[in-house]
Amino acid sequence: MMIRVRFHGRGGQGAKTASRILGTAAFNEGLNVQDSPVYGAERRGAPVAAFTRISDGEVLERGYVFDPDVVMVMDSTLLDNPTARPLDGIRRRGVLFVNSQTGSSFHGIQTARPDIRVATFDLTGEALSLVGKAVISSATAAAAARIIGLVTDGSLEKAIRSELEELGLNDELIEKNVTLGRKVFASLEPVELSTDEYFVRSGLVPFELIMGERTGTEEITSAGNSNAVKTGSWRIFKPIIDYNKCTACMVCFAYCPESALTLRGDYKPVIDEDNCKGCLICYRECPPKAITLEKEVREF
Amino acid sequence: MLQGMPSQGYYTRKGGEGVLSGSTLMTGNLAAAWGARLAGVDYVPAYPITPQTEIIETIAKWVRLGQMKGKLVQMDSEHSMLTAAGSASLSGARVFTATSSQGLLYGLEMLYNISGWRAPILLVNVSRGLAAPITLEPDHNDVLAARDSGFLQFHAETCQEVLDLILLGYRVAEDRSVLLPAIVNLDGFYLSFTREKVELPKMDTVSTFLPEYDPPAPLRATKPVSHGATVLSGNLYSYFRYRMHAASLEASEVFRKASAEYGGLFGREYEATEGYMLQDAEYVIVMSNSFTTIGKQVVAKLRERGVAAGLLKLRMLRPFPFDDVAKSLAGRRAVAVFDQNLSPGFGGILYPEILASLYHKKNRPQFVLPVVGGLGGKQLTVQELERVFESLRNGPPTFPDRPDPMYLMREDEFDRAKRNIAIASGGG
Ligand code: SF4
Ligand code: SF4
Repeated sequence: MMIRVRFHGRGGQGAKTASRILGTAAFNEGLNVQDSPVYGAERRGAPVAAFTRISDGEVLERGYVFDPDVVMVMDSTLLDNPTARPLDGIRRRGVLFVNSQTGSSFHGIQTARPDIRVATFDLTGEALSLVGKAVISSATAAAAARIIGLVTDGSLEKAIRSELEELGLNDELIEKNVTLGRKVFASLEPVELSTDEYFVRSGLVPFELIMGERTGTEEITSAGNSNAVKTGSWRIFKPIIDYNKCTACMVCFAYCPESALTLRGDYKPVIDEDNCKGCLICYRECPPKAITLEKEVREF
Repeated sequence: MLQGMPSQGYYTRKGGEGVLSGSTLMTGNLAAAWGARLAGVDYVPAYPITPQTEIIETIAKWVRLGQMKGKLVQMDSEHSMLTAAGSASLSGARVFTATSSQGLLYGLEMLYNISGWRAPILLVNVSRGLAAPITLEPDHNDVLAARDSGFLQFHAETCQEVLDLILLGYRVAEDRSVLLPAIVNLDGFYLSFTREKVELPKMDTVSTFLPEYDPPAPLRATKPVSHGATVLSGNLYSYFRYRMHAASLEASEVFRKASAEYGGLFGREYEATEGYMLQDAEYVIVMSNSFTTIGKQVVAKLRERGVAAGLLKLRMLRPFPFDDVAKSLAGRRAVAVFDQNLSPGFGGILYPEILASLYHKKNRPQFVLPVVGGLGGKQLTVQELERVFESLRNGPPTFPDRPDPMYLMREDEFDRAKRNIAIASGGG
């Protein structure tokens, strides 16, 4: 028996911690565990993934989980994110869990993948009412633990405590997270996970094909191609310019690290929403405070 | 050693000493830090680089909290870091340091000095592909660039091995008949950031296995000695180089004995190589480091289908375990050598070492297939390894032609790479 859980979240949302809590909980049950995050050079708000593999035998796998039994989506805006691709490779009869405040049952996904089971729960709402913050690492871990059904609530609680303690959280916050985990655990049902292996049918590239191409980095010649990565999807807050207050001082334009601000004819800034990554430097630097914020990602 | 230190317990950010049941989940980086802590190192010159930084961060925290007694100093580069490491070792300190990729190459010049000084430091390298192009994920061109430096090399497949090989590494490196520095290699991400079960040995038992370093001629202000003297002649140079080679060869036997003792104390014994389903295997793949785990998965699957597949893992790369390799591979029908590195214009770096081990064996395999894959941490997939075994079973094209090397990449991965390149080139 081997169960592979893949967590999709945004940087700062606790995907790695969730994968660790689940891992530690399963480890507390005496199972073999391997957990790991993937991240590159991104930052808060960027899509990240983490994995927990649980087995009663040896774990003879490593790295990215391409064929998960269970996928935990911590932020429903990631469902159609081209970088995250959370639906990829889910095994037949596997489970897709979506944290959502919208009450949607995700019919579209169910129609496209009738062979998987879709579950949803408002983890963020529970976290807001029980912890007072939209932090959902323990809630997500609790949901995953309940779905896979191999972990008791006792082991889960112990795991939440030890993992959050390691992160330096204070006792009060840890207890609130334990309460949250318990609530989520009790609200969901285990799912029978007898999934089928997911095959990638792809041949190997003959080396002649690579030989026949110019494949050095000299091929990448166009400057400014980072525009193609829509870092706008990383935003948690969107800066909004109040053109009545804006004095056209151009401070924001000078500071924006993404060059996501351009100037209009009157030297007032326009934000490129596809690429503004929401770092909020413009908001902090604007002398007359002409920039306000609007929250974008509901689940965060 | 660190008298009065708790024999067990791990650091939590709250500052407390948690209680350990002996086995716990930890990353490869944390296991490496624990290796240094349990070895009771005196001095840790440090310089950060992804994906190694967690190791020195962890040690820095332990030192700050008084949980580890050694001294940690952040240097201004890997070159100074290694210079400090080697010189401190000559004064009799047990020295630990860690780096990765470009950092290892930046300090490369000093590696040859440290081995020439016969200073038995332990250096952890967290593998990461070399720039350019820049990446964060692993292959072994970095650590293999240090292959000829005189450092002993141990390569870890699991987080447990990271810890155990550090303790064994010190023991072998500091042995009077060896006195050479050692590298313990672990893969970035696949081990460095991956948690799995690690048995943490008890500090007092480690102290029995690894007593305080006793240098033959430590640098002392009151008793000046000279190390790494200028020779200016080929005669003397050759003499010292041969001595170093002899000491490295000697390390094989020292490792074997130390490992047997380690096994007795901690229940885990290591050989220079490890066989997996090797008995009666006709088709064998040779691998090293963390992707070996994926190799084992494929071998186990093939066995279920009745294919006589097996795997040989290289754990110690320097000294090279010629005899173990020859014994394990002679008599097989076909062997594949998986190199997670590339010497452009040649191919995989370990392939010729395997051939050299086999050439004079009467019953050497007729077909030894060179395979390159997993560069820059490209995920090694089951499909790729299945194709490797398929090639082994189909045999060489037309003997005695040289077998065509396999360079692993799946069509879908290639297409995705081409698509990204098109976008980045302003096409897409
Ligand atoms: S938040 Fe402001 S400074 Fe930051 S990327 Fe967006 S426009 Fe630029
Ligand atoms: S910094 Fe503020 S006032 Fe100045 S141009 Fe930007 S938005 Fe307008």
